Amino acid sequence: MDRKLQKLHLFVLITLLALALAALYIVWSGEGSLTLFYLMDNIPVYFHVDALARVFVTLTSIIWVLVGIYAFVYMEHEGKEGRFFGFYILVYLVLIALELAGNLVTLYFFYELMTLTSMPLVLHNGSREAIMAALKYLFYSMCGAYCALFGIYFLYKYCDTLTFRAGGTLNMTLVSGNEAILLIAVFMMLIGFGAKAGMFPLHSWLTAAHPISPAPASAVLSSIIVKGGVLAIIRSVYYIVGVDFIRGSWVQNAWIVLTLLTVFMGSMLAYREKVFKKRLAYSTVSQVSYILFGLSMLTPEAFVGSILHVVFHACIKSVLFLTAGSFIFHTGKTRVDEYAGIGKHMSLTLWCYTFASLALIGIPPMSGFISKWYLAQGALQSQTGVFRFLGPAVLLVSALLTAGYLLPVTMKGFLPGKDTVVEEKKERLDKMNAVLLILAAFTVLMGVWPNPLIKYIVEIMGGLF
Amino acid sequence: MAFVQNFPFISILLSLFAGPISSVLDKKWAKRLNLFVIVAIGIMSTAVLIFVLGSGQEYVYTMGHFPAPWGNEIRVGILEAAMALFFCVVMFLCVIGGVLERELEIEETKHNLYYIMVNLLLCSLLALIYTNDLFTAYVFVEINTISACGLIMIRQTGRTIEAATRYMIMSLLGSGLLLLGICFLYSLTGHLLMSNIKGQVALIQAAGAYQVPLLTAICLMSVGLAIKSALYPFHTWLPDAYGYSTLSSAAILSSLVSKGYIFLLVKIFYRVIGFDIIKESKVINVLFVFGIAGMIMGSVSAIRESDIQRMIAYSSVAQIGYIYMGFGLGTTAGIIASIYHILSHAATKSLLFIASSGITDASGKSNDFFDLTGSGYRNRLAGAAFTVGSLSMVGIPMFSGFISKLLFAQAALENRHKILIALLALAISTVLNTVYFLKTVIRIYTPEKREVVIDKGFQDVAIWEQSSKSIAMICLIALNLFLGLCSEPLVALIERGLEMFA
Amino acid sequence: MNSYIMVIAVLLPILGGVLIPFLPFGKRNIMAAYIEIIVLITSVLTFMLIFNRPADAFVLFRFTGQLSISFRLDATGSVFATILAFMWPLATLYSFEYMKHEGHEKIFFMFYTITFGVTLGIAMAEDIVTLYFFYEMLTLVTVPLVLHTLSREAVLATRTYLYYSIGGAAFAFIGMIFVLMYGNTSNFIPGGVMDLSKMGGNINLLLLVYVICFCGFSVKAAMCPFSDWLPQAGVAPTPVTALLHAVAVVKAGAFATLRITYFSFGTELLRGTWAQYLLMALVIFTIVYGCSRALKETHLKRRLAWSTVSNLSYILFGVLLMSPIGLAGALTHMLSHALMKICAFFCAGAVIYKTGRNYIHQLDGFGKKMPWVFGIYTVSAMALMGVPGLCGFVSKWYLAKGAVESLNPLGYIGLAAILVSALLTAIYMLTVTVRAFFPEKGFDFEKISDVEDPNWVMLLPLTIFVIAMFIIGLHPQIMVDAVAGVVASVF
Repeated sequence: MDRKLQKLHLFVLITLLALALAALYIVWSGEGSLTLFYLMDNIPVYFHVDALARVFVTLTSIIWVLVGIYAFVYMEHEGKEGRFFGFYILVYLVLIALELAGNLVTLYFFYELMTLTSMPLVLHNGSREAIMAALKYLFYSMCGAYCALFGIYFLYKYCDTLTFRAGGTLNMTLVSGNEAILLIAVFMMLIGFGAKAGMFPLHSWLTAAHPISPAPASAVLSSIIVKGGVLAIIRSVYYIVGVDFIRGSWVQNAWIVLTLLTVFMGSMLAYREKVFKKRLAYSTVSQVSYILFGLSMLTPEAFVGSILHVVFHACIKSVLFLTAGSFIFHTGKTRVDEYAGIGKHMSLTLWCYTFASLALIGIPPMSGFISKWYLAQGALQSQTGVFRFLGPAVLLVSALLTAGYLLPVTMKGFLPGKDTVVEEKKERLDKMNAVLLILAAFTVLMGVWPNPLIKYIVEIMGGLF
Repeated sequence: MAFVQNFPFISILLSLFAGPISSVLDKKWAKRLNLFVIVAIGIMSTAVLIFVLGSGQEYVYTMGHFPAPWGNEIRVGILEAAMALFFCVVMFLCVIGGVLERELEIEETKHNLYYIMVNLLLCSLLALIYTNDLFTAYVFVEINTISACGLIMIRQTGRTIEAATRYMIMSLLGSGLLLLGICFLYSLTGHLLMSNIKGQVALIQAAGAYQVPLLTAICLMSVGLAIKSALYPFHTWLPDAYGYSTLSSAAILSSLVSKGYIFLLVKIFYRVIGFDIIKESKVINVLFVFGIAGMIMGSVSAIRESDIQRMIAYSSVAQIGYIYMGFGLGTTAGIIASIYHILSHAATKSLLFIASSGITDASGKSNDFFDLTGSGYRNRLAGAAFTVGSLSMVGIPMFSGFISKLLFAQAALENRHKILIALLALAISTVLNTVYFLKTVIRIYTPEKREVVIDKGFQDVAIWEQSSKSIAMICLIALNLFLGLCSEPLVALIERGLEMFA
Repeated sequence: MNSYIMVIAVLLPILGGVLIPFLPFGKRNIMAAYIEIIVLITSVLTFMLIFNRPADAFVLFRFTGQLSISFRLDATGSVFATILAFMWPLATLYSFEYMKHEGHEKIFFMFYTITFGVTLGIAMAEDIVTLYFFYEMLTLVTVPLVLHTLSREAVLATRTYLYYSIGGAAFAFIGMIFVLMYGNTSNFIPGGVMDLSKMGGNINLLLLVYVICFCGFSVKAAMCPFSDWLPQAGVAPTPVTALLHAVAVVKAGAFATLRITYFSFGTELLRGTWAQYLLMALVIFTIVYGCSRALKETHLKRRLAWSTVSNLSYILFGVLLMSPIGLAGALTHMLSHALMKICAFFCAGAVIYKTGRNYIHQLDGFGKKMPWVFGIYTVSAMALMGVPGLCGFVSKWYLAKGAVESLNPLGYIGLAAILVSALLTAIYMLTVTVRAFFPEKGFDFEKISDVEDPNWVMLLPLTIFVIAMFIIGLHPQIMVDAVAGVVASVF
């Protein structure tokens, strides 16, 4: 490794750490707010630290730093590291700003910036396919953003303020008589922000963009950036519109249908997919819609489940994608059926993968079980008619499918069968699998001791319902 | 009786006798005499105009002091004098503008003939303007036709002869109808003097008798004059007649001859029948419809034309359409607009004809559209003049066309039923005018490749090379701008003139 | 008082421009200095007028009793005048560099400078006749600019331009006549001047005439059935396409529609009528149509021209909302679109000037070689998309606010159309950026080794525009307060 690159790595590391620590310090040092400047007559670019932001910022910071370290090694074979890390840091800053946004317009502002700055990560390798995928990502996200903007325009009229307030800020006297158009506006917002979260019908960018980008980029895309969409939906539904307005309306039903459809479809497609990273991308589509399903239930339990799943899925999916990255880095193979016997010389990596998979499937006592438990409970407690039962059923089927598409890699990897001859080699601990280990450990530990997190989430919920 | 009051009569006589005298003079002197006559008549008309403006009322001049109904009367008001003056100015400019073409296109021996015709034409125009007698009017209509035919035919190519024949046939048809109309009126009223007829017609109308014959008479006269002034669809003779005759003929024919008939029609409306009756009759609706059809179809034909002279000729059809549309509106404002358009069209059309010959001079005498490419650079004055004429036709503010368009539009607003049709027709016709006139302007300012120019032997034409034409063009441009910028007193003049008419 | 300054501001560039071909300039630089000084003086005068608006009108000339050429600078006119006075000197500076390779400079600058005066005339027109007069003049003086290259395409484009523009004016003429005849006065009075009693209460006819007149003026603003001329006119030299066909001429059209809507016919009369809905439907269609055509286009300047078509209809949409916020949206978008689009066009022009390339697929990897130009291009692209923090967002915000508050289904559809068009804008603008900055793997930069950023003469105006975009985007209060004042004066 030449000195220049080393210097770059050092610089990136220091910057990332410094930024992450600063961010963590800001969010954990208490509630606070900051008005930067006025974007419009009464709409400032306004940041505010609250409990929800804390969860997201912490999650983002940890994963970002860890994946960054992983990328030092991985990006060697991708090249153009300067550009990659430049945008990597930029996206991090934008994400923190997004998560700290104190009103809807600020959120929207950074939401768009997030799209624009993360696009170069997708097209990193410069192949035609990558550029097309990046453009697809860009346009789907923009489409989503503009759908959301449509809603924002309406909310601006019918809300007291666009500053987030638990329970919503709708001005009911203004709304009365205009419910129909406002519901359409809210639905557009859901579709729009849902695009980022890979919700049907604007999901197809995800399976194009995630696999083609470098593994660290896919990891953060899948684990953190899609959560940007989730956060935006939480903020707009729970903090601006208020749950009461959409509970029982057609919007809620349509939303549930879309999420369930996405959950099922994502799993099915993942099951059929042979390219490993694409399979993981489909898995993301499905899993993020678990979160959205929980949010759409509009009950406290389901909300807890959703936030839990946000955290868990972030850790799990980064492990999975980084595993895929390691496989590609070491073997250059991309298809699932080529990984037979890979456990013989990359055992550490594959073990991490296995634990993460089990967590995602939701085998107790792994973390995924907890979140799904809450989701199912929340669904059963909700007053959503047939979806009370249909929802959990779909989740269950999808969990089975998850097992079906994740575990074969483990099995084939460790037990290639007689025909495949694989050279056996002990895998040494390096930066890459160290990161994997840490993340896998998180998933396991959080599954075993979820209570502090759950308690904290219940705190967030105060006033939302 | 002031001496000035004799001037209208003198000017008619002067031009009438200048004709025969020209036949014994040589070419040069015939021309000088002709120009002198025009100038003299112009000066006399000015004097008359000033006199009438001063006295503030029209006067009747009885020839030979025989009282009506036996004598022949001349009636002079502001409008008549102004019209005579204007016709003299335009005719003067047309005649000097076409000097060079006449040298080239007319046989040496026929030149005096040409000036005879011009003199006679002027005489008949003046008579049409001044006369107060329907039958006299008819006589001079015929003289007008014949001299116009002569003007067309004087350039002896097969086409002009054919054109003249067509013109003759159509014109005679028109005068025949006019004559029939006059006969009807005569048998209805027993008079030929306009003012007397009007009194009788008013009585008939009041009694409610003879409605059909009266309507027929109006119809016959209107249609007859419409044919003669080339209202669509009776325009078929026009493009050939204007397109192939020599320059000064084309300019005079398009800007003056047809206008003489139209002026006569105005007189018939106001003096003979009475405008109130005209307003009531359905005839004006017919004129309105044909006027609008002319506005559109004339332009459409012009767009399809690739010969610049014929294109300008077709544009005349459209402009005549404007004038009849103004009549058709059936309001005084409409008539004022039409009369203003007579002025503006005369000034513009003669400018366009002279300018187009200027640019064809720089393109090897070819009228073909493609040869004109870049001619605006080869003959700068003609190019500029053509541009001014085109802009005026299109109705760009500052030029005369804009004012007449404005007047038409304002007049249209007074007629509840026709308002929209008239306005839309104006707009559409403006668009069509743009299409063919400005297309030509762009073409003459699109430079041609040097080698093509040399290859085809096109010559540059400097301003002083064709001094007569240049003077004519400059004067006509000035006239155009004058009409465009100082319209207010003119409109007031026309208004007062029309009041005197009625 | 100082009302005569208006006449000077209008006539100085016209006369100064006319003189250009006749003055014996020894060197090119002297001519450039002469032109720049004239333009600057005019701009300074205009700004003086804007900040210290003369109270009374100045009648320059009277055609007839009713028809006169008279100037009065009101608040609304000041907005347009500000755009012009701000941009003209900078665009002229850019043109000095750009026109080096186009030739016929004297003629070009003659008409370019005259156009400044004529557009100022539109901004300062006191009544509809003056507006109409300068509107027609504008067509005529810009024709030689479109024709400039004298190529076959230029001739065809000029023809189309002429037919459309003069045709449009012919229809606008009808509206003018109505205002003259049935209005209390031909002057622009906030709230309109129409006197219904004069026309016997035939409101439908009046509305029809309004529609006709609006369509006529909107030809210059390239509303849908009349939009074809604008992309074709892209054959003109870039300073023309940038300043005239993205700012001055087309905004003159939009400004004229604004004038007749708010100052002649009056919103009271029009609001909630079929005329409003019909025109809104047309405008909404244009918003989407322009973008879709832009998407299809592979020629950079033409793509930007189609984008202009769509963006102009944003302005018209704001005008047609006929509410204070809608008007604010129209005016803010007028300002911000001027900045964004002139920037984008100047970038395209810089590429043409340095490399002669016109098509988007030829721009691979240019971002590396022309970082300034493409950086600025990207910023203007983002502004056009409406990314917050840049000026485009502010104006769209107001348009959207107006649309939401209109409580009118067409307003909602229009809002949706604006967002769809924003998406399409993202697509057609950013594909260029992506191409320029992220060429495909294995792109050979040797092929474009001669490509480089232009010199400061070109970059200075661009940079100033970008800074202005940021200032307005981050601190919109400057613009918003000014516009609020204008709107208050109208309603």
